[in-house]
Amino acid sequence: MFSNTLLNSVVAVILTVLVCFVISTFLPGIERKYVHARIQQRIGPAVIAPGIMAPIKFMFKENVEISSPVPKLYKILPILCFIVVLCVLIALTPQAYKIPALASLVAIVGFLKVEEICYVLMGALSKSVMSVRMPFPDRVKGAAHLKAPLSFIEDISARRSLRMITYGSFPLYLALFAPVTAVRSIFLQDIVAFQQANGPFLFTVSGAIAAIVFFIGYMIILNEYPFSIIKAKSDVIEGPYMEYAAKYRAVVFITRGFFMFVLGAVFSVLFLGIPPNIFSWGILVNIIVALIFVFMMGIFSAFSPVFTNRQLLPTILGATLLGILSIVVGLL
Amino acid sequence: MDKKVPRSDIIETEIPMGTVHPAALEPYRVRFFVEDEIVQEAEITIGVNHRGIERIMEGLPVQKANALTEKICGICSNAHIWNSCRTAELGLGIEIPERAKYIRVIMGELERLHSHFLYLAHGCEVLSHETFSMRVFYLREIVMELLAMIGGNRVQYGCSVLGGVRPRCELDDARIERLKNDLNAIEEGLTGFVDRFLADSILLSRVTGIGVLPQKQAIELAVTGPSLRATGVARDLRTTMFEYDDFDFNVITQPDGDVKSNLVMRALESFESIKIIRQAIANLPEGKLVNQDWEMFDTDLSESYIEVPRGTLYHSYALESGRVRHCIIRTPSMANIGAMQYACIGDQITDAQLCIVQCDPCFTCTDRAIEIIRR
Repeated sequence: MFSNTLLNSVVAVILTVLVCFVISTFLPGIERKYVHARIQQRIGPAVIAPGIMAPIKFMFKENVEISSPVPKLYKILPILCFIVVLCVLIALTPQAYKIPALASLVAIVGFLKVEEICYVLMGALSKSVMSVRMPFPDRVKGAAHLKAPLSFIEDISARRSLRMITYGSFPLYLALFAPVTAVRSIFLQDIVAFQQANGPFLFTVSGAIAAIVFFIGYMIILNEYPFSIIKAKSDVIEGPYMEYAAKYRAVVFITRGFFMFVLGAVFSVLFLGIPPNIFSWGILVNIIVALIFVFMMGIFSAFSPVFTNRQLLPTILGATLLGILSIVVGLL
Repeated sequence: MDKKVPRSDIIETEIPMGTVHPAALEPYRVRFFVEDEIVQEAEITIGVNHRGIERIMEGLPVQKANALTEKICGICSNAHIWNSCRTAELGLGIEIPERAKYIRVIMGELERLHSHFLYLAHGCEVLSHETFSMRVFYLREIVMELLAMIGGNRVQYGCSVLGGVRPRCELDDARIERLKNDLNAIEEGLTGFVDRFLADSILLSRVTGIGVLPQKQAIELAVTGPSLRATGVARDLRTTMFEYDDFDFNVITQPDGDVKSNLVMRALESFESIKIIRQAIANLPEGKLVNQDWEMFDTDLSESYIEVPRGTLYHSYALESGRVRHCIIRTPSMANIGAMQYACIGDQITDAQLCIVQCDPCFTCTDRAIEIIRR
């Protein structure tokens, strides 16, 4: 009996993950084709191009020798990011609720933090050709500061990623813990059960405020414009991802789409009380939420320039205060 | 405004960018010396695109040399051929028919429009505001098509020839009608863009007070063109060019010398260009397009300065037996490089490429500096 139940749960989780993964591959294309391209009055790429065709193409490209002091670790990091996102999705499925250590907010926050740390490591371990010195001594041209220590543009992105861990993603974590104020439990099982009994947390004052904060945090953690300071094209270009090529870049592309879906699923669980489950119609809600988030993010990013520290700090401060407000309102 | 002093004794790190960088349209290298992401000093190195075009021109018949100058720059190709023809015409004393003068002005102002639109679009792109960038590019597309209608090409129009303009560039009624209609569309689109841009507080926070070039500094660095006018100096060579004697237009200035001033200045200047083109269409004189009644003779040095979209363009010729004996071309970005380096100081490194872009660099046509060694 136990083995049957376990087998059913494993099959359910695998099927759920597979369905979610397949749908997630369409999300970057939907954002680019149906939001960005429509707003900018251009045709845009094929909807399957960014999430499916590009990774397939990269899979069959010849890899280049990565310029990194620790190449093996550097190559593992995108795969680690994918595994982390996968773990978050597994933790959200109802079958995982039997393992409280996994299906809790603390575990989800921990996984997301690992994801963020990966960006720091990627930036710190990348030494691309985009910022090397010219092959001749600068003194030939009478250059200034000949002995200044050289830094790579990826170093800037690593430092920025570290700052984002410190305070940048704070609004997202506040929003994640906002439902706890109503439920008084950090376990997903309790959060889902509470909302199924009392209605979605989203439709409370605290929940509505927290949802706004969650959306800002969603854009920050996905490094989307205007919060994409760690990969701003005007200076650090691709930032942590600069040196990834071929199959490693394919993993980066796949992970991004998957992460978009999984964060939508996190919202569905925490704010609507509907977990992703292949054997329930509730998975449609998860898909719709993921699509709504993609559309909203696309619209915001299409009409915003990239923020520098001057705009980023006040925005994060404001979102953080809003997050605190939602928690205070929830406690009251 | 106080002069920005490079804190060159506190150099934490050097961050070289380029020669290839997505925020730069052209290959150049810039070394940023930064302290906690704040640029303390910047150093731009060009030279990647040197083609030695003056050397190629020496010995060529002057008509061929004129055509070659068009290849110097893809953006202001018309300005180069116009000024090289103008230089030779001044040296040889050639009279230009009035109609040809007007058509040259129309082409010059259309080129200014497309250059300024490229500037606005590129500025928005460096700000990572792709939507605004695309919208300006669509406006620019109308101008490019107008240039193609008159010149036959979207980039190398070959409009000016010695003594006037090419017969291909004749403006008949149908072309004039299309010009009028498209100018209305451009004006409407540009008005909408400027209104939208100035109402966007997020965008304004990215460009206001960034890359400030004080007026005194701009004059010291011999900055020319729109970058100078964006610091409040009302200096425009078009007010002294005989081709513009018949036209009424304002010299646009902005007070602050920052990125916002530069962007707004070019947008407002585009309206003036539209105004000039409308006047030219309305008062287009009848008559021939080319004066072929002239003779070639040897000339000593003849020089010509004109106002092109990015500043002051200088050409000089000395002719011998109908061929070019000497030629020097000086493009506006040569003078503006100092301003680009200066504008970066004190701003965040994310804004640094924006500060360079605000001075409207065109390094490919600037790559012609030679050091004269006097023996």
